[in-house]
Amino acid sequence: MHNIVSAGENAILIYFGDKIDASLPKKIGNFANQLKNTLSDVVIDAIPSYTSLHVSYDLNKISFQAFFDKVEGLLTQQASSGAGIEAQTTHIPVYYGVEVGLDLERLLSEKNLDLASFIEIHTSQEYLVYAIGFSPVFAFLGEVDKRIQTPRLATPRIKIPAGSVGIAESQTAVYPTDSSGGWNIVGRTLLDLSLENPENIDKFRVGDKVKFYSITRDEYLKNGGNL
Amino acid sequence: MSFKVIKSSFLSTVQDYGRLNHGEHGMSQSGVMDEHAYTWGNHLLHNDFNDAVVEITFGGLVLEAQIDTFIAVTGADLGFKINNQSVQLWHGLQIHKGDIISWDIPKSGVRAYLSVKGGFDTPVLFDSRSVNLREHIGAKLVKGDVLPCKGFDEATYRFIPPKYVPNYNQDLTIRILPTYQFNEFSINQRDLFFNQNYTITNANDRTGCRLSGAPISIKKERMISEGISYGSVEIATDGLPIILLKDTPSIGGYPKIGTVFSLDLAKLAQRQPNTKLRFKLIDIHEAQKERKKFNEFFEISF
Repeated sequence: MHNIVSAGENAILIYFGDKIDASLPKKIGNFANQLKNTLSDVVIDAIPSYTSLHVSYDLNKISFQAFFDKVEGLLTQQASSGAGIEAQTTHIPVYYGVEVGLDLERLLSEKNLDLASFIEIHTSQEYLVYAIGFSPVFAFLGEVDKRIQTPRLATPRIKIPAGSVGIAESQTAVYPTDSSGGWNIVGRTLLDLSLENPENIDKFRVGDKVKFYSITRDEYLKNGGNL
Repeated sequence: MSFKVIKSSFLSTVQDYGRLNHGEHGMSQSGVMDEHAYTWGNHLLHNDFNDAVVEITFGGLVLEAQIDTFIAVTGADLGFKINNQSVQLWHGLQIHKGDIISWDIPKSGVRAYLSVKGGFDTPVLFDSRSVNLREHIGAKLVKGDVLPCKGFDEATYRFIPPKYVPNYNQDLTIRILPTYQFNEFSINQRDLFFNQNYTITNANDRTGCRLSGAPISIKKERMISEGISYGSVEIATDGLPIILLKDTPSIGGYPKIGTVFSLDLAKLAQRQPNTKLRFKLIDIHEAQKERKKFNEFFEISF
């Protein structure tokens, strides 16, 4: 069942569930598209995240109550239609090395794993995009295998280099640009996710899939990687 | 056809109404912090409501006009001068090639807005000219930068009735809508929230404004991340509110007790640290009515 609450003078928040669930991102992403298509003259933005969809609307054109009713109507219809956008899979090359994986050595010793096993665990999973946020093109990916889950750093780092691959509890992600942050860094990709390339804006969508694969130190260096 | 930066300052950036439709891509709303002063600045010059301006925080900026045109400076009194002469704020002003315009230090308020006839023509990135430093979209102004704009020999400008020029030195009561997890805070905790004077701290920037006061308690400290509205009031783990502003990330995972009415956020943008602040409830119909009236007057439409 859905629950809708006010999120401000021109915004509502629609909850699709109260627990993180792998079936929700696709459902929420599809509904966001349906909403933007059906109510394109009044919807300004729709932000999906894990269990919810935040929608802002043009209060010049529609009141809170009228918008609320329209959304409720659409939600009822949606329950019966399952069609939607095709999920895409992005493959991301990662160099898992201690020179770039700032927390890798600590993690291996805490988890009592050798590097090969760690890489095997992190790359064998197909991850689901649960949310985009924190910064542009930053995709929250889940779920990380229990054997390598680890809490955020108590004190976030001031600067994490672009391309760093991190783990925080059951989630993993790539930092698209240099940024501050508290995730445990285990490797780095050369894949450009910055907005210097404006096409990256749509690189990940909620409901898409991501798979990491391991590259060697030589491959990383040959393609322009810094240590 | 431009203004040139002669001396850079602590923080001066080009902003417009904001990047409203890219939250789904993880982008902040961005845009001007004080919609009231910004909107009047463009209105005085007969500009479009979304024309780009320079937002000057705390002063220190010096520009040289390389063109004849018209400007207006609204918002904070940061010791604004043309060729070293103090000039009136909230007025259309003619500028000639070679004029030096400068801002000194804050006398009242925090952020001044420089509007130019026709708006500044800096690059549009993801549907907006607003700079966002955290997202690496654009950069703050530094010496030698050039701010392109058109020249004008003739212009008409409007006047602002004096009653609309705000006093930025008063303590503030800001109106807040009961949103998000409002109902999950107990009645006692809500009473504590609404019946105390908070104080604006130094931790106060384009991302958010942290308040000090008596902490309120929360049932859950962290929750599943969800979309954030401009003006959401997050209760941090220490029980104190942070009012989330234009550069706040698009999603976040702390409980929120409500969302501040946008036109009161404009007032907040001009308050210096140590100002006292109280919250008062507003209902959605009243908020929408007042905002709609503002939008209609200034011809703000999406």
